[in-house]
Amino acid sequence: MGTVLRWVLFVWMAVIIWAAFYYAPAASGFQGQSSRIVFFHVPTAWVATLAFLVSCIASIRYLRSRDPKEDIRASVAGALGLTFAILATVTGSIFARIMWGSYWNWDPRETSITFLLLIYAAYFALRAAIADPERRATMSAVYAILAFVTVPFLVFVVPRIYWSLHPDTIINTQGRIKMDSRMFQVLMGSLVGFTGVFSWLYSLECRVEGIRRRRQHEVL
Amino acid sequence: MNDLLGIMLVTLIIWAGLFAYVYRVDRKVRRLEMEDL
Repeated sequence: MGTVLRWVLFVWMAVIIWAAFYYAPAASGFQGQSSRIVFFHVPTAWVATLAFLVSCIASIRYLRSRDPKEDIRASVAGALGLTFAILATVTGSIFARIMWGSYWNWDPRETSITFLLLIYAAYFALRAAIADPERRATMSAVYAILAFVTVPFLVFVVPRIYWSLHPDTIINTQGRIKMDSRMFQVLMGSLVGFTGVFSWLYSLECRVEGIRRRRQHEVL
Repeated sequence: MNDLLGIMLVTLIIWAGLFAYVYRVDRKVRRLEMEDL
């Protein structure tokens, strides 16, 4: 990411943060100002899903090419996906405390994100357990592909088929967007901003891992 | 100062801190890449 783009991202996110609190109105039917967390909760969940998709694609590419760079991409995307999924869980939990009086309610959304976190935590346990780099890359690529198969079910299907405390999703079950236009603008801006932050962190982490492996290789 | 302003300022500070940290790491990585060339 170029220097100008980085500063554009900085200003963009600063504006989004201001807009999330002062431009967008608080949604009706929610406790106080609690609905404003949507501008941070939904983008983190979106970035987590995107990162898991990137990890799956890189894993497929690794199995086809055996290029170590693809293994780096898969593991970096997996780590970022796990981080953003934790952030989505934390922001969701804060919202749950305000709205329902408890941080954790074992709601279908909360249960499915727990499964997702465990599945991707196991991905890193697997990576840590195999010493041989090639074997580790192959095994974890296969695991990352299988792990991603569960993502659409856990993120999109399960929470929609069971009764849930969770507010209606942005695109509801009728396929319509039910949201104030100013809230929608800020949410879209936030999604773009968070995607920018992810792509910056992703490229940076890939470069760091590349340097680390190059230097490790030189030492060996 | 009301609560909303306080939370917004804290969020802005977190973002500025995160940005400054990642920016610094990015510059350091660029330097290391130049050394490797």
